[in-house]
This record gives sequence, structure tokens and C-alpha cells, in this order.
Amino acid sequence: MIRVTVLFFGRLKDVAGHGEDSAEFSDAATIEQLFALYAARYPELAKYRSSVVASRNQEFAAWDTPLRSGDEVAFLPPVSGG
Amino acid sequence: MVTLPHDDIYQLVREPIDMAAQIRLVRAPEDGAIVTFDGFVRNQSHNRATLYLDYEAYESMALAKMQEIGIQIHEKYRIHRVAMVHRLGRLEIGETSVFIAVSAPHRAAAFDACRFAIDTLKRTVPIWKKEYFEDGAVWADGELPPVPAATPRAKPAS
Repeated sequence: MIRVTVLFFGRLKDVAGHGEDSAEFSDAATIEQLFALYAARYPELAKYRSSVVASRNQEFAAWDTPLRSGDEVAFLPPVSGG
Repeated sequence: MVTLPHDDIYQLVREPIDMAAQIRLVRAPEDGAIVTFDGFVRNQSHNRATLYLDYEAYESMALAKMQEIGIQIHEKYRIHRVAMVHRLGRLEIGETSVFIAVSAPHRAAAFDACRFAIDTLKRTVPIWKKEYFEDGAVWADGELPPVPAATPRAKPAS
């Protein structure tokens, strides 16, 4: 069982309706599959796929990064600090 | 691995930024120059009058990314100390949202490092602003941070 913490920020938090969740997979899964899980739950989220980057444990991560139990994965819209 | 000098400052704050205090903290007798960047809230965006902004951050990652920028500028430029402070929460027109001060023995390195720091912060640090107008609010357009290419193909599971 792989259990991960999932964070949404900015407009993604508005779309998902919450900023933090946790997800479980019984088999190996990637960040892409994690996003797909939420896109299925919140169809509006799928529209943002091309303008989202992901991080795993506070480092930007490729979509095919495998998840490990205990990971903190965040989905980040384009950043606009400054 | 390069570590940050302990007298550098990297902070996320929710109260007004005391710029004079930051400048005093990076100023040292061996330096000859300090270059600062003061980013503050503009009263309009795309020709719409802004009422105020609200900033949020992925705080732990934002702070780590700010420190990474610090490491990069210490490696690239002959600078002495860095102060990099970003404010979060509601900010009114004219209030400073980000402040960077870089001290160096000579001005060229301080200018270059300060420019690199703000440009990189705007591209890579997970902070977002929501712009509030008379008739609603929008998340500001931003930049998508560069992400590592796909991870090398792992051996197929047997």
C-alpha cells in the first residue's frame, strides 16, 4: 500500500475545493496517475494539466516519478510571486 | 556542497517588511556596495484598478527554493551577504511584497546577483498572488517553473 499526502495550491485549490488530501494506491503509481485520480474526481482539474507542475517532497518532479509511501506531492499552478 | 553563510536571511513574513533593517543586516565593513530590489503592489493590472493582493505560498518549499537561489548567487557572483524576504497574506497598494538586498565588495556583482535572484524567484519559488478588483478576483498569470525531464526508465519489474 502506498499512501501519499497531496497538496493543491492557487487556482488548483479552488478547483479541488481543498488544499490537502491523502491518497492510497495498492500498486506502484506515478505522479501522473495521482493527478489522473483527482482529475477523475474533479473534471475541471483536467483542464489545467498542461499548466501544472508537480513536486515530490518539495522538489520539482517529472510526471513519471514513482510514488513512495509517505511522499508529499504538490500540484502547483504557474507561480506568481514577487 | 556549498552551505549558506549564517548571516544571510531568507524569510516568509506576514507583517510589513522593514527594509532599512534588512539593509543594515547585510551591510559590513568589508563591503563597498549594496543593491536592493523592492517589489511592491501596483495599483492596476492589465488596465483594471487593483484593490489589493493576497499572496499564498507552499511555505516549506518556497523557503527551500529561496535558499537555493542564495546558494546559486553565492556560487556565481562575488557577493557577501543576502537578505531575501517575501511577504504573504493581504497586501495593499504600495506595500512591499518582496525585498532583496545583496552586499558585495564591488557593485557589479551586487547588481548582477540581485537581478538574478529576483528573476529566479519569480520563475521558481512556489508563491501565488490573487488580484482583487471591484468586480471580482483572479489568480495572477504566472510562470511555469522548469521541471526535470522524465526520470530515467527504471528496470521493468520482474
